[in-house]
Amino acid sequence: MKDKYHILYTLSGLFLVASFFSSCKHQEHEYHSITDKIEAESKNYQGTSISSEDFIGDIKTLEISEGAHTFLIPERKSQIKSYACTECHSKSLAQMQNGNEAKKAHWDLRLNHADANTMNCVTCHDGSSMDNLTSLTGNTLGFNHSYQLCAQCHTSQFDDWKGGAHGKKIASWAPPRASMTCVNCHNPHNPGFKSRWPARFNTQTEKERR
Amino acid sequence: MGDSTKKWFSLNLGNSNTKPSGSCGCGNPSGGCGSHNSENADVNAIGEERHKDGFEQVFDVKMDRRSAFKKLTASLMVGAGAVTTSCSVIVGEETKEKAQIDWEEQFKGNYKLMSDEEKNGTVDRLVRSYQLRTGKTISLSSKNAEEDVLFGYAFNISKCQGYMDCVTACVEENNQDRSSQMEYIRIHEMKDGKGFNFNEADDNYYHEVPAEGHFYMGTQCFHCDNPPCVEVCPVQATWREDDGLVVVDYDWCVGCRYCMAACPYDGRRFNWSTPEVPEEEVNKNQHYLGNRMRKKGVVEKCTFCVQRSRAGKNPACVEACPTGARIFGNLLDPDSTIRWVLENKKVFRLKEDLGTEPKFWYFMD
Repeated sequence: MKDKYHILYTLSGLFLVASFFSSCKHQEHEYHSITDKIEAESKNYQGTSISSEDFIGDIKTLEISEGAHTFLIPERKSQIKSYACTECHSKSLAQMQNGNEAKKAHWDLRLNHADANTMNCVTCHDGSSMDNLTSLTGNTLGFNHSYQLCAQCHTSQFDDWKGGAHGKKIASWAPPRASMTCVNCHNPHNPGFKSRWPARFNTQTEKERR
Repeated sequence: MGDSTKKWFSLNLGNSNTKPSGSCGCGNPSGGCGSHNSENADVNAIGEERHKDGFEQVFDVKMDRRSAFKKLTASLMVGAGAVTTSCSVIVGEETKEKAQIDWEEQFKGNYKLMSDEEKNGTVDRLVRSYQLRTGKTISLSSKNAEEDVLFGYAFNISKCQGYMDCVTACVEENNQDRSSQMEYIRIHEMKDGKGFNFNEADDNYYHEVPAEGHFYMGTQCFHCDNPPCVEVCPVQATWREDDGLVVVDYDWCVGCRYCMAACPYDGRRFNWSTPEVPEEEVNKNQHYLGNRMRKKGVVEKCTFCVQRSRAGKNPACVEACPTGARIFGNLLDPDSTIRWVLENKKVFRLKEDLGTEPKFWYFMD
């Protein structure tokens, strides 16, 4: 009889030790944390059948490569109403300023972007060739790549945008990645977001909490 | 050890058969812990491997007399309706069809146990039922989770301006009840320098935003990877899908609201009345687990717009946000933007210490 109990005690003791080591592994708790899970499960990531191409629709895009990132951004030139600028601006800025018959154009544009010491029109626009933009060092940049202008000063935003932490994607989360470029959200002449009233107010919640 | 050797008094609470010793540290002999599932085939709970049809799922569970009678009565009512309409010569074909649909819907099973065929069946029935009732056609999807997809979300606190465009887009997309003004998303206006103080935050402000000295933080269902709401549901009407979405079967929910009590993030909403959406405002692009019309007495919540996200689109809130504060994507895709955010920004989640593992991260510029 004593032996029987002895065996029982030993067994239950062993069992206790065993259960101590084999901690409860829930199906859904196979990983210690979600970051572990993401890391493990994305190791053999095969890609999905879903593509963003169906959702980009009529938006014309172009592919850009910046650092380690390659993605699509909307094409810009076809979206500017009166492009090419040289259709009106046949003379360079210097010539226009010399002439007396110069007409005042773009009077509705007021630059509200940095201060007058930092920026004026020709900081970005190429005075000698109106169809293009110009970098701080005088290199010619096309309107399609205007983000390169912004990146000259806004370096941290540029890094975030390249990675995907700043800005919006077009329509879809799926690859290939298509992101909006700077001027799709920011007016380059007045880039800040304006304060305004919220889109809605919940009168029911207000009533309930009174 | 028999009772005779016992040196202490124990109260007999009716469970005369003593528990068999579990083989696992959790101490729970069955069910509660995943490591038993291979041995235990005969578990009664819904959600176990053996396939049960709708009738079995309704009646083949232990229940007390009261709830049994309740279920029987409800089913009999539907049945009686079906019988009277089908036997009658006066009622039209449409009424008969409606009764037939009601009958089949009454005895359908839990969505998560359905085969793809059964899913299509119920979806077709619901589309037809809507057609018969309103004369309008909806598109109702039963698309399953995609392979190699785990949805995740990131919210940039320094970008949100408190415009609440996301809330409007969400309500329009997801057919929430207009009369009670149900909203899944809350935007909390918080004072600078006070930390994340939800007690002092205002989530129903109405003044020009962004207000001086404040920042904005949005909350909604975080689609936890270890969701406490799922754990407490007594009828398994809510569960986590393979792509990480925590969803509700509105036809299986009994409205006990345990999940609402269990959610540490106030992510769930309850339909105290029959949800009303003006016919012209109903979003007809629907998913069974998402924005299809709900009924009175069921719980609902954000589904990351399952009808959009499973198709490949961004959720409505992400699309509507004018500031780009909301980032959505596939956590398993190493090249996705959400992964870049998680790996390169200083991210955190709310109440991380609870171990709920929300798939909703916050970050700052």
